[in-house]
Amino acid sequence: MARGRPIHLSLMPTEFESVEIGGAPQEDVSILDILDHVLNAGVVVQGSLVISVAGVDLVYLGLNVVLTSVETALRSLNAEAKRAKQ
Amino acid sequence: MNKALAYCAFLREEGVSLPAAGVNAAPVEVMTAGALALLWSHVQWPFEPSAMQRHAVEFHEVISHVFRQRAVAPFRLLSVFDDRASLSSFVALHGADFAADLERLRAFVQMECVVYVARPEFVADTASGTRYLRHKAELLRRIEDYTAKIKAVLAETSAEIRVREVKQGVRIFALVKRGREQEFKSIAGDVPVSEGLARRLSGPWPAAEFLSAQVKSPNVAEAR
Repeated sequence: MARGRPIHLSLMPTEFESVEIGGAPQEDVSILDILDHVLNAGVVVQGSLVISVAGVDLVYLGLNVVLTSVETALRSLNAEAKRAKQ
Repeated sequence: MNKALAYCAFLREEGVSLPAAGVNAAPVEVMTAGALALLWSHVQWPFEPSAMQRHAVEFHEVISHVFRQRAVAPFRLLSVFDDRASLSSFVALHGADFAADLERLRAFVQMECVVYVARPEFVADTASGTRYLRHKAELLRRIEDYTAKIKAVLAETSAEIRVREVKQGVRIFALVKRGREQEFKSIAGDVPVSEGLARRLSGPWPAAEFLSAQVKSPNVAEAR
C-alpha cells in the first residue's frame, strides 16, 4: 500500500505551471490539470488498476482505494516537481 | 513486463487523424469492434515513478490528438490490461455501451469551473472554535451561492450541469456543444467570485463526467 509523506500542498494551487501541448492552438493547460484528468477522469477498469507512488512498488488495488489514492499520487508528484525545481 | 495500455475510444469514422506515438514513444495501435475504435499501446510496466509526469503528458497528448477532432471516451492512465487479448475481450463485451455513449456525446465537450477556498489559512484560523465554524459556514454559503448562480447563467449554454464537492470547494462540470467553449468561459467568467474564494475555468475536455455508469466503471456496473 502506498504511503505518502506528509506533504502540505493544495490540489488547487493558485499558481499553475503551464505546458504547451504539441500541435494544439495555444492551449494553456497546467500540468496539474493534466494529471488530474488522466488519473481522475475517465474509464476505470476494476481489477486492472495499478498505482505506483513515490518509489513504492506496484500494488493492485480495489476501485475505491484507487479513487482515494489518486489524491496522494498527485500530491507526491507535485512535491517531487517542486523539489526538482529547488 | 509488457502490458496493454488503453488511451481512449471513439466512433470509427473516415478522416480521423491518429497519433503515431504514445506513452514512452510506444507505437499507438488501433483496435476496432463494430462502430468503435480504441487506441492502445504495448508499454513496459510498471512505469518508473520518476517518469510518471512525462507519461501523463504523453498519455494526454494521445487523447487530445483525437479529441480535437472527435468525441472520445478516455481511459485513466493507470488502467492497463494484461495483453492484447484481454483488451480485445473487454472491447467485445463493452464496445456497444461505449459506442452508445459516444453517439450521445458526439457533439459535446466538457467545460469545468472549480471554485475553492483561496486562502486555506482563512478556514484554518483556530483562534476560537466558534470563529472557525462561522468562517467555514460562511465560505460554504458563498460556494453554494456561486454554484447556484453559475448553474442559472449556464442553463442555456449547457446541455447538462453536474456538481461535485471536492476538498475546499466544488467542481462544476458543464456539457457544452463543441464550438461554444468561449461562450461558456465568457458567461462563467462574468459571475463574480466572493471574497475568500477563487475560481478556475478550464476546458474543453472529453466529456468523461457525463459517460454512463456502465462505461465509466464497467465492472462495477456488471456487479449491480
